[in-house]
Amino acid sequence: MPMPKIHEVGDRVRSSVALHTEKKREPRLRPRQHLKKKLRHKPTKVAIFRYSYYAPAFKYFIEQVLDCEYLRLPDPTDRNIELGSLYSSDYVCTPFKHILGDFIEALELGADIIVQTGGPCRLGYYGELQESILRDLGYEFTMLNFSHGIEKGYVGWAKEVLKVVNPDLNIPHAVRQLIATGGMMSKLDEAHDFYLANRGFEVEKGSFDRAWTALSDAFDACKTDRDITEAFRIAMERFHEIALDKPENPLRIGVVGEFFTAIDENSNLHLERKLTDMGIEIHRMINFTNRYTHYNEPNLRRGASKYLLYDMGPTSTMTVAAALSYAQQGFDGVVHAKSAGCTPEIDCVPVLQQVSADYGMPILYLTYDAQTSDTGLDTRLEAFYDMIAMKKEKHL
Amino acid sequence: MTEAFLGIDIGSISTKGVIIDDGGEIIARSYLWTEGNPAQATKNVIAELREQIDEGDVKVRGAGTTGSARRLVGAMLGASVIKNEITAHAVGTTYVHPDVRTILEIGGQDSKIICVSGGIAVDYAMNTLCAAGTGSFLSSQAHRLGVEVEEFGEIALTSQNPANIAARCTVFAESDLVHKIQVGYARQDIIAGLCQAVASNYLNNVGKGKKIEAPVVFQGGVSKNVGVVAAFERLLDMPVIVDADGHLMGAYGVALLARDAGASATDTSEGGAFASGAFDFEAALDFAYTTRETHCGKCANNCEIILVYRDKDLVDAWGNRCEKGEVMKARERKAAK
Repeated sequence: MPMPKIHEVGDRVRSSVALHTEKKREPRLRPRQHLKKKLRHKPTKVAIFRYSYYAPAFKYFIEQVLDCEYLRLPDPTDRNIELGSLYSSDYVCTPFKHILGDFIEALELGADIIVQTGGPCRLGYYGELQESILRDLGYEFTMLNFSHGIEKGYVGWAKEVLKVVNPDLNIPHAVRQLIATGGMMSKLDEAHDFYLANRGFEVEKGSFDRAWTALSDAFDACKTDRDITEAFRIAMERFHEIALDKPENPLRIGVVGEFFTAIDENSNLHLERKLTDMGIEIHRMINFTNRYTHYNEPNLRRGASKYLLYDMGPTSTMTVAAALSYAQQGFDGVVHAKSAGCTPEIDCVPVLQQVSADYGMPILYLTYDAQTSDTGLDTRLEAFYDMIAMKKEKHL
Repeated sequence: MTEAFLGIDIGSISTKGVIIDDGGEIIARSYLWTEGNPAQATKNVIAELREQIDEGDVKVRGAGTTGSARRLVGAMLGASVIKNEITAHAVGTTYVHPDVRTILEIGGQDSKIICVSGGIAVDYAMNTLCAAGTGSFLSSQAHRLGVEVEEFGEIALTSQNPANIAARCTVFAESDLVHKIQVGYARQDIIAGLCQAVASNYLNNVGKGKKIEAPVVFQGGVSKNVGVVAAFERLLDMPVIVDADGHLMGAYGVALLARDAGASATDTSEGGAFASGAFDFEAALDFAYTTRETHCGKCANNCEIILVYRDKDLVDAWGNRCEKGEVMKARERKAAK
């Protein structure tokens, strides 16, 4: 019998030792899992107020940047503004009421954290006020208020997020995803500009709305910057493929006004849909991208230096500069939308009247309150349409 | 045989109707109180118009409606044109006064200003949040003072020294008025002060920022009040034109629009007032119109849907904000099956 090789002896010894110890050891049914810290808790549900078509970007921000679960609010109904008006002061501006109503609905749906973005006007103080109203109503929640830390800019906001929402945030990853969120905002605005300019001329009714829903859904599913780029490319291809029946010289209207009311269709009673349904090309300079990402107030003001000497308020420069630019481009009219009690935009009205008189371009001033009805708006828009359409016909 | 067109303006306080021939001349006119029942008021107006024309000769080929009940009455009559009152007034007035530059209009519940250049409306404004200084305010104050609102203007003109009444808001104006009555101002001074208040309130609110240029035409029910006309002339320092038919201008405008739309635009479907191609006065007066209100209930909006029935047939429905509440389309789908 040949001598066993030395490694074979080792194997035999090891196997007998293993067999021996195995018998003695307590059977372990499940290997112990060491979960990551964040997985040991149920995910935090975060909700933001409803704001126009930006929900996919909010979702991306909450899921990819804050690493939480996004709580989507259902489509708004009258209950939203009823709740908001019930618990807020009568004289506060309408966006406050809408946002408060959204927060109440979000908390009813089980949100852990609600986000108030703050803003460049009174909106900057609304977070605190809404928080104390909601606490008085007995809700328990955490509020992420971007008015906190604003004095230190991004660093302040980052500290606020780490403190309030998620202390385990991977900062470099979050920064990359934040930039991607900004990119998604811009792409949403770009797509929406195309939508507004052409929706009124679609051959098959509803094709633009369907394409918009597809875009919104695709953006909802995005997880990386590359997903966003791809989804946007596909969506824009679809938009461009829609058959249009557009006259060479269509009626064109510019929408200007306050940051919330002019953009949010729930607040302005679907102003843009009503206008495009009449077959009008709409332009709207004011949106997130133009007001934040590419905002250069002094530069914008120089374009309207005849009318503006200093910055009058959060969106005033853009309102006047946009109206002036539309007038110079020969638009048929401008619609100015503001909420009742919006002081900066009320200040803009005399300037806009001057622009209107200088260029002979009519401006329709709309003030939205919580009680505003569709009927009054329809009458005014219809009359405005008749007026500019008759004027155009006469000049051609 | 004369081709004619009907125009009806159903306001909150009064209902106006005209019949024009194809040359644009008014051949029948009527002005009655709405009294909260637009359907009945329309029938009364139609009955009154009928008496003024020779039915054998005049064939009404189309109809237009305007005013706050335009949709309801439009559905009742099978109107070819349903237009807002701003457009109707602008069209009517520029037809009568091609050189007009400014149209002032004060009605029962709303007031508006229309700026015209070269025969077309170039700018307009409408009272926004409240109905201060409109016709209904004047008539409630007339009631308080125990005079008929129709006499208001004449009394105002006799005043040498109009009382100063706050014009900003109806509630303040009213408490000011009560105060002036209690301290013993002469009645004509108070009435003149009220007329003044209506005019200055209008110019401060609706006319704010608008350039008012002559010729100025003043319309609406309040234009029949000579006191307010005089107040406008004094405040604007220019003559203010008031037509004999100024209160009918909305109805006239929409009749002109119906004429331009032509007989082909008229809904000649079975059972309607235009079924024979011409307006059937008898049928329009005989139909029983009922309006029923229902709530959609398919979401929290709970939209109020208005259903209009002619006898037992549903002729129109509106008020839904989304496709879930589309009554007419659902019926059409059912009928197609």
